Amino acid sequence: MELIRKMPEKNTIKRRGILKGLVAGAAAVVTAPIVYVAARFLGYVSKGDSSNTSATVAFSDLTPDKPSKLIQINDEPIIVVREKDDQIRAFTATCTHLGCTVSYRPQVPDFYCKCHQGRYDVNGVNVPGTRPKLPLTELTVVDKGTDLIIQLTPKAKS
Amino acid sequence: MITDWKSHLISALHLEHTVAAVKEKNVPHHRSSIWYYFGGLALMFFTIQVVTGVMLLFYYQPTAELAHKSIERIMTQVPFGWLIRSVHSWSANALMAMIFIHMFSAFLMKSYRAPRSIMWLTGIILLLLMMGFGFTGYLLPWDQTAYFATKIGTEVPKALPWLGDIISSLIKGAKDVNGTTLTRMFALHVGVLPIISILLVLVHVTLILLLGSGVPPVAKVTGATKYFPDYLLKEVMVWLIGFGLLIAIAVLYPWELGKAYDLANPTEPPAGVHPEWYFMFLFQTLKVIPEWLAIFGFGILLIFWTLVPFLDRKANGGERSPIFTYFGVVAILYLCVMTAWAYIAVGDERAQTPTEKIQQVPKQGGDSAK
Repeated sequence: MELIRKMPEKNTIKRRGILKGLVAGAAAVVTAPIVYVAARFLGYVSKGDSSNTSATVAFSDLTPDKPSKLIQINDEPIIVVREKDDQIRAFTATCTHLGCTVSYRPQVPDFYCKCHQGRYDVNGVNVPGTRPKLPLTELTVVDKGTDLIIQLTPKAKS
Repeated sequence: MITDWKSHLISALHLEHTVAAVKEKNVPHHRSSIWYYFGGLALMFFTIQVVTGVMLLFYYQPTAELAHKSIERIMTQVPFGWLIRSVHSWSANALMAMIFIHMFSAFLMKSYRAPRSIMWLTGIILLLLMMGFGFTGYLLPWDQTAYFATKIGTEVPKALPWLGDIISSLIKGAKDVNGTTLTRMFALHVGVLPIISILLVLVHVTLILLLGSGVPPVAKVTGATKYFPDYLLKEVMVWLIGFGLLIAIAVLYPWELGKAYDLANPTEPPAGVHPEWYFMFLFQTLKVIPEWLAIFGFGILLIFWTLVPFLDRKANGGERSPIFTYFGVVAILYLCVMTAWAYIAVGDERAQTPTEKIQQVPKQGGDSAK
């Protein structure tokens, strides 16, 4: 203990105060950009491939036994359905309740969400009394003979 | 209120002894005191490695198909991803530099003397663990240089009789370096090594707080500074300078990403494949003497280096021990000469072989480029 540098007490306290202030100030100046960079880095959410706006489905993939197919366009699940009159329709498959993926029940027929028993009719309209409060979005389907082009744009209302 | 909370925590964790030791701790002044800062700097760079490493884990994908692409994505799409990766890579090198300086200064100051022998042992294990981090982390970008450097590195143990093949296969997890090796290196790099290292760092730092700083046997101590808060404040200033330099280098010289290695389309190694600088002395030694001799030689030297606290009896008795000092100086000279020689050889090899320039990922797209 005797080896500790002796210095007038007032001077020591003053110097320590200045040093503490300087270090605290410098630490604050350094911390702010670190927090900003970390927040931006960790807050990144992939926007997916925005150039990818359509997908092709073969008509033969939709049979009377298995009349629906789930596909994905730009990270968005889409359900393609062949109705009894062979009309092909596509809907967004994300349940508007809590984001689960809906499935098609040809025997009812309707769209059904297994997660919270949500229901939508064949036009994608949410059935009152079930959890979803908004309808599914019907998408544009272009018939190319044996293939169908499913586009990520809402179907124009007729 | 805060005092209550602090005292409860200290008593719950039985930290009374450590807190008292920290309050009592003084840092001695002598002509070599400046070297004390390097241990603290190593600790700071280690902390940066842990933080930036965890951040990179949010986006890195450890498979042979996706590893390189995910790093490209980090560097071009994720905001400040290029900076976080650059800081992680530069800080790894800074950490190794600080550890080498810290170790050799401790050796030459005879800081390994009793009662610090356990600190020396934990320090040596930490050095080996950090080298392990360097080796396992090198493959993770899955670029051509990393691939071939790992191929060479994992072949070296084969020179050992009997166990060589088994050790080599265990490291690789396969006959040759492939996706399994990458997953294995990843598990070691982010799972096994960090757990052991963090525990050992805690032991190492607690020991320095309890035992105090080592003073060379015949040093003239001219005074002392109270560790808390005076010396700690000085240390924080040094850390801020170190951190500032690291960020400046990471921004001005962003860490590059080489061409991806494609397992389906094997290519020849690029000219001048070499490991990180802290393995270069070993790399060059392996070029000039047989592998088995290098392994045994370095093995014996490592054992000797680890057991120095128990061998240097003169220093333990507070006397000069020049033989050990000379040994330390020769070791430093050997590392410097072999490293320089290795880099000259790599330069010559590259000059003789015209190759494509290493691909630099452009900093475009993503929010960070805006």
